[in-house]
Amino acid sequence: MWANKFPRRTFLKATAATAAAVGVGDVFSIGEWMKQANAAPVTKIPSLCETCSAACGMWVHVKNGRIWKVTGQKDHSQSKGRICARGHAGIAMAYHKDRITHPMKRIADNHFVPITWEQAYGEIAAKLKTVLKEHGPEKVFFSHNPRPTNKFYWPRLMAAVGSSTIQSHHSMCSTGRDVAYKWTTGGMATADIGKTKYIVFLGRNYVEGLSPSTAANMEAAHARGVTMIVVDPRHSNACLFASQWVPIRPGTDLALLLAIANVLLAENLYDKEFVDEWCVGFDEFRQGMKQYTPEWASTMTDIPAETIYAIARGLGNNRPASCIEQGYKAPNGCNYANGTQMFRMVACVNALLGNYGKDGGMKFSNPPKAGSLDAKKYPAPPKPKAARCDGAGIKGEFPLCQTSQGIVHLMPQRALEGKAKAGFLYRINVARNAPGPELLTKGYKALDLLVVCDVKWSETALCAHYILPECCPAEREDLPAVVSSTVTMRTAAIGLVHSECKPLSQIVTEFAGYIGAAKYFNFTQDDVANAIIKPLGVKLDELRVKGTIKVKAPAPKPLSFKTKSKKVELYCKAFADHGFAPVPQWEPPYSKAGKDTFVLIHGKQGFMSHTVTASDPYLLAIARRDGLERLWINADRAQKMGIKDGDLVEVASPQAKGRVRVKVTERVHPEAAYLPAGYGRLVPFLKTGVGFGISPNDFTPSRAEAISGHAMMMEVLVTVRKVGE
Amino acid sequence: MPRYAMIIDAKKCIGCYACQVACQMQNELGPDNAFIRFEDRETGKYPNPKYVIVPLQCQHCQDAPCVPVCPTTASHKDSNGLTMIDKDKCMGCRRCVAACPYNARTYLKDEGVVQACNLCLSLVKQGEAPACVATCLTKARYFGDLDNPTGEFAKQLAKAKPLRPDFGTRPTLLYII
Repeated sequence: MWANKFPRRTFLKATAATAAAVGVGDVFSIGEWMKQANAAPVTKIPSLCETCSAACGMWVHVKNGRIWKVTGQKDHSQSKGRICARGHAGIAMAYHKDRITHPMKRIADNHFVPITWEQAYGEIAAKLKTVLKEHGPEKVFFSHNPRPTNKFYWPRLMAAVGSSTIQSHHSMCSTGRDVAYKWTTGGMATADIGKTKYIVFLGRNYVEGLSPSTAANMEAAHARGVTMIVVDPRHSNACLFASQWVPIRPGTDLALLLAIANVLLAENLYDKEFVDEWCVGFDEFRQGMKQYTPEWASTMTDIPAETIYAIARGLGNNRPASCIEQGYKAPNGCNYANGTQMFRMVACVNALLGNYGKDGGMKFSNPPKAGSLDAKKYPAPPKPKAARCDGAGIKGEFPLCQTSQGIVHLMPQRALEGKAKAGFLYRINVARNAPGPELLTKGYKALDLLVVCDVKWSETALCAHYILPECCPAEREDLPAVVSSTVTMRTAAIGLVHSECKPLSQIVTEFAGYIGAAKYFNFTQDDVANAIIKPLGVKLDELRVKGTIKVKAPAPKPLSFKTKSKKVELYCKAFADHGFAPVPQWEPPYSKAGKDTFVLIHGKQGFMSHTVTASDPYLLAIARRDGLERLWINADRAQKMGIKDGDLVEVASPQAKGRVRVKVTERVHPEAAYLPAGYGRLVPFLKTGVGFGISPNDFTPSRAEAISGHAMMMEVLVTVRKVGE
Repeated sequence: MPRYAMIIDAKKCIGCYACQVACQMQNELGPDNAFIRFEDRETGKYPNPKYVIVPLQCQHCQDAPCVPVCPTTASHKDSNGLTMIDKDKCMGCRRCVAACPYNARTYLKDEGVVQACNLCLSLVKQGEAPACVATCLTKARYFGDLDNPTGEFAKQLAKAKPLRPDFGTRPTLLYII
């Protein structure tokens, strides 16, 4: 058939172009049709990617009113003109079959009916009022992945309700690290990979947990001849640029850091001047490190003692242009029981190297300051006084956890305990991206009211009483944000694909009217945008055209630490006050592999972002074609177990069983089994992604680490056995 | 006429698939059709494994085996030395697919034709780099003119070699491995 000669996408585009350009009733041939369609002008509209947290600046190329492709914005600090696979594919989310196209109400398990916005707002408002009346605002919470628009609108709405419990995704990401740096250095410093001479990555993977700039930075450092040590149970693709892969027993990075400190101190390789001027508790710290020799750490980490000496000396001899990279999710983010103390040690070792504020060491960012709405003209609701229902910042629970992040994955448990009654979730898929799906689902469903606002169906949306459909990134304009020394903004590249979907600012503003909070939203999104960029000397119309604009960077600030003591707290009094070790000490992870078990580790792939992209047809096709959902097992162990590459195995923990194929490899520690994160969708009616792969979260219990409350996502032992086809 | 060519530094390839998807979008291909694919190779023993990822696509061979087997002259060499496929002439017999030793040609089932990397000639003619080169996160790809090599392309050219010279097809796509 001749029609088969044209790809469907082009064919449809041609139809649209004909209607627009030729007009119904004109005589045309298929050849003319194609010519018109292909010759249609392409417009380039600035946008920001939304497939991961990097939010890369990109140009959306639109032809015949439809998205064709994207390219990177050169001035954007994350993309630097380049876009990763997720970005190229993800913009087409606007056309995805698994979008939520109407406000929805759950009438039975996995059964939703479309309702009008008015009905949704009305019923949600009525239920919320009942919860507030019966339980008060302390049992209402809000969870999201903070981005410019939702960061402004949702917390304002929650303040109007009186709720203090606002949570980001970080307890399943980087809360261990973030709590630790808050109490150790008072702020987040990042490795100056552009100028460093010697850098150690602990589990952090710049080329798979990537943004285009992190991958480029690692490549550039490699080309510059920087010594890069990658410590990871898995030989990740970051090792392609590393000087050395140091395989480590899962969850024992803390022992390695303790021994590095031991050597720096014992061999006088630390920066005495820096320690004298900028650290508190050095004597206690020094005393505490004495027992942690490399020989001891070797037995804990499975790293040869001489390698530990070499790393410590490499760091010491290259200071201050040497550092332990800060990590992200990594072992210090949310993976192991000892994660918070592990990051305390990352910060302490960097202090011993005296690298804070130095080229090639750890630097604090100093971004230009954005503006905010005029509070007189646009009064904000008063700061809520209600107690938090997730325990963050509360004595006897998680007193040291920062309330800017909270403990998001704990809410289903809190719901089961009756401590939470109503939740609002925006663009966050806790039910699939945190451990223990069964408990999470049960807990969310136990709430009196759960409202999910998202663009597509998710495991979490399935738990909601009401779902409010937001329009896709390609269809909406968002609030501007300051990123490095630029201001950047998403604009709408195409019109609404589904007419019932709305931008978030409209949803929140309209809903506010139903709960008597309209007075706190007496402005337009443009008013907020103008207020944000005003002090930066940028005009909104210009930003809409350029997408990203460089702004003047503030003058560099002298070094300072925003801790209680204004110093780096090698000894942290706040930790002591709450019963935690004030000087980091060895704490083993919960899980140590035995003869028949593996620690189940996971990590990102460069073309996937957890469940955000796991149903993308292009990215899913890659994973299927190249068998990238497979479980990695060390070749020696596989041989002993009679498992061959490609075999189907059953993975089991006390909590769950699952089947997946195996990749037998020399690239993983014998005690670890690696499973890529993101596969194993649990929404039965999804058009893409269901039935492919399994998720590490199935096997891991839902828990909260004692200090910062993070999810301890790699604390699980599994057995693996070959099963018949 | 320029003789366009590409150099791929496989030592810099991180297997992120950005090039593949950028190419699919540029060429309006469906999810299951890609002009770029990857082969990876693991050698050595734990704890000292070696790993390399090699992106593969049409090698634009000077002695292209796909050309003489084409019964309709759809597969041809163009004036820039590129191996191109005239979509209107292709009848989808797939002899070229079988003839290509690099397995770098893609049969588009929906359209009933074979297509392959065209080095984004439409972009190149506008003075832009091919989509895969422009988006490569680690700058592992270089595009240039063999007769007039300049800049980074010229620098890399000395190190670059055909992937499998033993196939005897004299590719213009060159690799650093």
